[in-house]
Amino acid sequence: MFSKENKPESFREAETIIGESIRVKGNFQGQGNIVIEGYLEGSVKTEANLLIGDQAKIVANIEAKDAIINGEIKGNIKAKNYLSIGKTAKIFGDIQYGELSIERGAIINGQLLMINDDHKRGENKKQADGEITEKE
Amino acid sequence: MHVYIYDDYLNKNKYNRAINRLEIRLTDLGLNGKIIRLDAVKNIKSAIQNEIKNGSKTIVAVGNNQTINKIIGAIIESDIYSDFQQKTLLGIIPIGDDNSIANSFGIKNIDEACNILLARRIEKIDIGLAGENYFLNQSTIESAGTILEINGCMIESSDRGEIKIINLLSDKGETIKSNPHDGKLEILIRTRRRDQSFLTVKSLKIYNPKHKLIVDNVVEIDTPVEITTRTDKLNVIVGRDRLFE
Repeated sequence: MFSKENKPESFREAETIIGESIRVKGNFQGQGNIVIEGYLEGSVKTEANLLIGDQAKIVANIEAKDAIINGEIKGNIKAKNYLSIGKTAKIFGDIQYGELSIERGAIINGQLLMINDDHKRGENKKQADGEITEKE
Repeated sequence: MHVYIYDDYLNKNKYNRAINRLEIRLTDLGLNGKIIRLDAVKNIKSAIQNEIKNGSKTIVAVGNNQTINKIIGAIIESDIYSDFQQKTLLGIIPIGDDNSIANSFGIKNIDEACNILLARRIEKIDIGLAGENYFLNQSTIESAGTILEINGCMIESSDRGEIKIINLLSDKGETIKSNPHDGKLEILIRTRRRDQSFLTVKSLKIYNPKHKLIVDNVVEIDTPVEITTRTDKLNVIVGRDRLFE
């Protein structure tokens, strides 16, 4: 769905794209891939993939299969499979993930919790407060 | 039997040549049938409904988007609709401007339209419904000040631009895809700073106190208005180059 630059390959691949000038209020649910570049207040849930762009501001709990976060989120994140947090991300809330990658420069203020206890990678639970400076 | 519904604007002299060419071509292909001229008919609805009652196999709109909308308006909410859906096909012969619906079906000119009528390639098509107005292509409204209500979510744009609610694409170069068989509408929001948004929905409600919703480039309606689809409502004769699968 996404290119190496964490951008959607084209409009044809996403079921929903919320552009920079758009404000959404409410509980937003989808079956397909969702891209959010604008403002959203409420909640977001999809069975597929979610991309939060670097200009996006989200005041909501979000849930997806795979998620790429480059914007600002005030709320909890649950990525059942893979979660990628980019260098421009600012997250104020708890994070649940299957697999995780965090780019240098990302700001996370909340708890990190791996969803699957049997997962091969790393620790099950770790606390992160303040700015993350190391890339996993 | 084919019944050709000629729109009233075709009685202008400038269309004489096109009409002559059309009638010769239809005769050559053995497709000639009854002609109903809307300028000579007092009650368009009953004229079209009578033809369907009398067993016409194909109703052909000769004109533009407005002609097609008149025909759909005459049959969709009427008693004869189930007869129409089971037994009758809708054909289109585009003449003049404002033919985005024909373009969506891959029908570009009179000659092609006649060949397409002969080939009888049939597709079931959803119809969009904005309030009490039906549309095949799309409804549009200014984006600034417009609020879309979708499943309890309120969506609004701060920039000027255009919101399109699409049932059937009319532009081949469009970057989105739209399926007129899936019972869904595509919403495309393009603002002046080239910001784009895209959503797929079954229904929505639109509010804008300043601007009207324009349906198929023909009818302007006030908001708030509810927009939805009716699935597989029309059997349309389409071309190979139609803008959907």
